Amino acid sequence: MSVVNYGTREITCKIVYYGPGRSGKTTNLQYIYSQLPEERKGKMVSLATDTDRTLFFDFLPLDLGTISGFATRFQLYTVPGQVYYAATRKLVLQGVDGVVFVADSQSRQLAENIESLQDLHENLADEGLDPRTIPLVMQYNKRDLPAGEISPIEELDETLNFRDVPYFSATAINGGGVFETLRSVASLVLSRLSAPATRDS
Amino acid sequence: MANKSKKEGESGEEGGEFADFMADISLEIAQRVESLNPKPKAPPAEKKKTPAPPDAGLIVEWPNIADRMIEEMR
Repeated sequence: MSVVNYGTREITCKIVYYGPGRSGKTTNLQYIYSQLPEERKGKMVSLATDTDRTLFFDFLPLDLGTISGFATRFQLYTVPGQVYYAATRKLVLQGVDGVVFVADSQSRQLAENIESLQDLHENLADEGLDPRTIPLVMQYNKRDLPAGEISPIEELDETLNFRDVPYFSATAINGGGVFETLRSVASLVLSRLSAPATRDS
Repeated sequence: MANKSKKEGESGEEGGEFADFMADISLEIAQRVESLNPKPKAPPAEKKKTPAPPDAGLIVEWPNIADRMIEEMR
C-alpha cells in the first residue's frame, strides 16, 4: 500500500495498466509520456518485440515534483497481455496501489477481456491483495472503431464492471480518455494513502 | 459514470492535459497529507497535586487509636 512517508517526505504510488493483449495499455502510457513537459520527461522503459507487442512490461516513472513538501512519484506500469506471460504479470502486480483495466471494446474481444479480468483477480489474490477493494478503474478503449465492430459501453460495463467502479470510454491512440482515467485511479489511490506506523519508518 | 472525452486538438499542447492533471492531484495530495499529518504528541499533563488544606501539618485532633499507641510507646 502506498504510504505518506513523513520521515523521507515522499509519496510513491504504483499504478498498473492491465488488460488483454493489444487492448491499448502501452498506448495509454505513450500518450501520457507525450504530454509530459520536457523538464519532467524521464525515461519510459518499454520492452517490445519486433511486432510491437509488449514483451516484458512498460514502465513510466512520473515525477510530479514536490507537492505540499513531499516528493511525489507515480510509477505507471503495463503488463504483457498475452496469456503466456502470466509470471510477468504477477511480478508487475507486486506492491500495486491501483489498477486500470484497459478493455478492448471490439465485440470479438469480449472473451479475452473476461479472461484477462479473471486473470487479474487471481493474480491479485495470489499477491495477498483483495480484488474487491483494490483501487480499480475500467477503461473501454478503441471507441473510435466503427460502431458495428464494438460493443456498446453499457454492455461492456454490465459484463466487466461488476464492482461498479468508475469507467471511461477512450481512444487512447489520440489521447481520448487517457488522462481522465489516470486522474480517476490516482484519486482512488490517494484516498487510500496511509500514514506509516511511526514517523521515521 | 460518464467520461469527459478529450477535445480534439489538445494533444501535443504544452503539457496542457498534464498541467490539469497536476492541478487536481496536487490539491488532493495536499488535503490528504494534511489529514494524515501526525500531530506531535502533547507533553504529558503535569499531575495535579491535591491542594493542601490551609492548616496542613497541624494535627488538630488526635484519634483515639493514636493516643493509645503513643501511650504504649511511652
